[in-house]
Amino acid sequence: MKKRLIALLLAGTMTLSLAACGGSGDSGSTPSDSSESTQQSSAQESTQESSTQEESAPPAEASAFSESPSLTDLVSAGSLPALEERIPVESDVFVDTTDALGNTLEIGTYGGVINLGGAGGGWGLSRPVLEGIIRFNSDGTYYPNVIKSYEHNDDYTVWTFKLREGMKWSDGEDFNADDITFWYYMCHLNNYDTKKSWAALKETVDGEDAWAKLDKVDDYTVTWTFVNPKFPADFIENGDFKWCWAPEHYLSDLIPDTEEFAYVENPYYAKTGLDDETVLKNAQAKGIDAATVKDLGKQVAYYFWNEDGLPTLNSYVLSTKEGNNSKDAQLCIMERNPYFWKVDAQGQQLPYCEEIHFNTTSEDGQDQLMFRSGELDILGSVPMEDISSLLTDLGDSAYLRTLASTNWGSYLLTFNYTCKDANYATLFADSRFRQAMSICVDRNQVSGLLTEGFLEPGQCAPQEGNFGYDEEWVNKWTEYDVDGAKKLLDECGLVMGSDGFYDFADGTDFVLTIYTYTDLGMGDTVYPVLEQYFNAAGIKCATKDYDVSAFDQEIDNNDWYAVLGPHTAIGGVSLKSRVQPFVPIAQSAEWYGEYGTYYDTNGAQGVKPEGDMAKLVEIYEKWKATPDSAERDKYTLEIYDLHKANLWTIAYLKAGGDYNIVSSKIHNFPDLLVSDDLYQYQNIVHYWTLFKTE
Amino acid sequence: MEENAYKSKSMHEDLPKKTLWESVSDFFKKDLVQYIVKRILMFIPTLLLISVLVFFVIQLPPGDYVSAHIAALATEGEIVDADYAAQLRADYGLDLPIHEQYIKWIKDIIWTPTDSSYYRLYGSHHNWKYSFAYGRDVWDVVDDRLGLTILVTAIIMIFQYAVSLPIAIYASTHQYSVGDYISSVIGFLGAAIPNFILAIVLMYLSYKWTGNANVGLFSQEMLQNGVQLYNFGEFLKRMIIPIVVIGTSGTCGIIRSVRAQMLDEVGRQYTLTARAKGVPERTIIMKYCFRAAINPTVSGLGGVLSSLFSGSTVTAMVLNMQIQGPVLLKALQAQDMYLAGAIVMVQAVLVVVGILLSDIALAFLDPRIRYSGGGR
Repeated sequence: MKKRLIALLLAGTMTLSLAACGGSGDSGSTPSDSSESTQQSSAQESTQESSTQEESAPPAEASAFSESPSLTDLVSAGSLPALEERIPVESDVFVDTTDALGNTLEIGTYGGVINLGGAGGGWGLSRPVLEGIIRFNSDGTYYPNVIKSYEHNDDYTVWTFKLREGMKWSDGEDFNADDITFWYYMCHLNNYDTKKSWAALKETVDGEDAWAKLDKVDDYTVTWTFVNPKFPADFIENGDFKWCWAPEHYLSDLIPDTEEFAYVENPYYAKTGLDDETVLKNAQAKGIDAATVKDLGKQVAYYFWNEDGLPTLNSYVLSTKEGNNSKDAQLCIMERNPYFWKVDAQGQQLPYCEEIHFNTTSEDGQDQLMFRSGELDILGSVPMEDISSLLTDLGDSAYLRTLASTNWGSYLLTFNYTCKDANYATLFADSRFRQAMSICVDRNQVSGLLTEGFLEPGQCAPQEGNFGYDEEWVNKWTEYDVDGAKKLLDECGLVMGSDGFYDFADGTDFVLTIYTYTDLGMGDTVYPVLEQYFNAAGIKCATKDYDVSAFDQEIDNNDWYAVLGPHTAIGGVSLKSRVQPFVPIAQSAEWYGEYGTYYDTNGAQGVKPEGDMAKLVEIYEKWKATPDSAERDKYTLEIYDLHKANLWTIAYLKAGGDYNIVSSKIHNFPDLLVSDDLYQYQNIVHYWTLFKTE
Repeated sequence: MEENAYKSKSMHEDLPKKTLWESVSDFFKKDLVQYIVKRILMFIPTLLLISVLVFFVIQLPPGDYVSAHIAALATEGEIVDADYAAQLRADYGLDLPIHEQYIKWIKDIIWTPTDSSYYRLYGSHHNWKYSFAYGRDVWDVVDDRLGLTILVTAIIMIFQYAVSLPIAIYASTHQYSVGDYISSVIGFLGAAIPNFILAIVLMYLSYKWTGNANVGLFSQEMLQNGVQLYNFGEFLKRMIIPIVVIGTSGTCGIIRSVRAQMLDEVGRQYTLTARAKGVPERTIIMKYCFRAAINPTVSGLGGVLSSLFSGSTVTAMVLNMQIQGPVLLKALQAQDMYLAGAIVMVQAVLVVVGILLSDIALAFLDPRIRYSGGGR
């Protein structure tokens, strides 16, 4: 396993920032002889000058496209148009020939059902099926996906999206530029989707928030115009900006024109004139239940994959069958989208499988029983301790697939640097204390006890293969040395009490209260192990295990001391995915506590950061102001250096992956992909290319 | 002798034979109607008090639905700013003082006026509000699982009584026999083994012997096509584990209490008299002893309605049964207060009604029980 991980990290080497903002290093992992490669070319070109060569590449190898026999039957029965009328024009069809690692895909056969565990959460159903504006490869490079191409002018103020001619929504209606203008002016700018705050389309003009101007050039071309330069990292690469369309033909009677969703002046759409009640009534007629119009907007314009009957561009769409049409159903079904716009190298329309079934279970481990019984095909997030027994028992009938994590480590301990109690805040700020807390733990033993040696000892740092990897950093403060730890604690000013535990110099008790949240399960597994090491070093500690919302409340109220397994961890794939894990600019992560609140509220609340914490933001401001990828890498590394020097969060073991056990009936599931929020986690598996053989 | 004979005769004459219908109508002629009306009137303050407790207790944990929701979003990688959270609270009315929230909640449940937006949209005068966690009307969520919950719990209860009552009668009439010991041991085992462990063991055995752990009440096929005649056998097969797990845990209590009561009754003088007068043993046991012995069991039926509604939570979780219990748990975890409140309130109503019904049944069963004190 360790070798596999290392192999991944070497093979998948993700030099995100080297992706040159527009993905200049993205060759080799997308189709090379298809219209899609054209889109890739334009992605590359977009980093240089504006590119308009999207029509130059040859279409798919196959001159004629083919479809699933089940769809042919529907066509024969007259209930579905012929394939050629359902997919884009030949030159605009997306030909999917490689996986996210660049390996050539096996040509599949049609039929069957992919059985997965429960979907859970608002995003669960989207992971295997969502189609975004662009798509990332496992190494951080990317290419146009739903759109055919994108380009920008010289000063990055105008971005042009070209669409695929003839592309349809899953209900057969045309998908064109109107669906983009509709989304922008009628769903987004009036905050109907509750996401007007997306940074990708926002800028600051004369000290005020301003939004891009969207224009329809023709049915298949739109332009986004900004006043200031809008660099790729803040626009096309922005992790939030996953889509910019909504089905006008379906949603137009669901948008109110009220004070709350005030009409935004635009040349394309008039006021709807609908009030809240009418809109809710219209929604009800479509089978959509919502308490308020705001809920409705979020359901249909944001979490749209969760609504049955709502047209999408995704590979599979939610079934409309009563009982199977909700993510909360015990069996939730997604059916193939007969209008899906991707084909394989032989011109077979994707996806291969008829349906994806999400089987909700109520307890951990039930999914394993179902997998063993053959009721599931892919078992996600398998706990490390269960992997070897499952693989041994299942023999040839299943294989392991690891999605490597971009996390910086496992079993992370973070201290509250803005703690209300000055004694604690001063102590936590002392790097010698953090060093002592790090070296007082025997990581090898922890690895054996808690992961059966699965995860190696390591520090909180970018893991091997990731951008910014630094061996010295990964091994910093990892040598087990209890006496050394005690010496450091003495140097911090702590005084050993008669009970064998350290006290503060003023004589008050020092008790390190470590907060955990139940869902993570660290309170009753990891904490008891670490506690023994801390006690042995003279640190008295206690734990408080909360439900996650109560836990967050404690963090928000700044009523905490230390956290094991933070809810919002430090580090990740890259600053361009999310900035908050690297820089204290929001009210979200434990490692910067109230410092983040200070920036988030423009100094109105929180604690003003000083020293290295303040420097992080200074460097980030420079990072933001340049489109030059090399310069951005330089700033990113400067930020990383500060993290390395301070180790605001300590890790005890290296990061684990997302381990999947896959039935050997399933083909095209690549190994050693990278799972990250930027890539939409499991979405990088490309479920529409999976096929099943008996 | 003569005196005894006279008494015996007079006793016999005092107990004229009545048909069942006569017994029932006679029963209801008494002060029962007045009693029932009084009890129903008592429901109102009781339920109001319960509703206050329910509403406040559900909100006791720190945070509210919005904080739980935001925490869940953060787990999925979505960061929500404080403004949005505040806006959500305002939208859902969670920013109001708790007593105002309560009054609004209970008022809308009791009567939502015709000119309200809710009535115009849903056509109902009882607005149970909206489940945040499920994104649907509360009653829709409850209704979804109600049929299955009642079916499953009813089958399990029938099993419980069908198994435990004969065993209890047998054990009491064959005290200290081998059968008595065996039934006691099995009963105690059923009660002593936590349901969730038994469930796991049975699932394991099921997997070991049949290759299928039978997780959940329905196969995928049933979840798509529903339970039909052709797959009813499969459904019953999947019911075995829940019935054994939940059923056996309840049987012990019934066996022990009925057995103890029966042992009490079989030694009573009236039993001896009946036996001396040559009444068949079967009649003595079934007509006299059993009727008296079942009193505590009947008074325990007050909770049956409520259990029918909610089902067993822990076992349902372990066995992945999609019944009401886990919904309540999820609602409480997500601080989905309207859903949790609705479920607990309905349970409370059912408990109150159930107790009334069991009291009436008890009085019917045992004429010595009266509804008002004094003079009788």
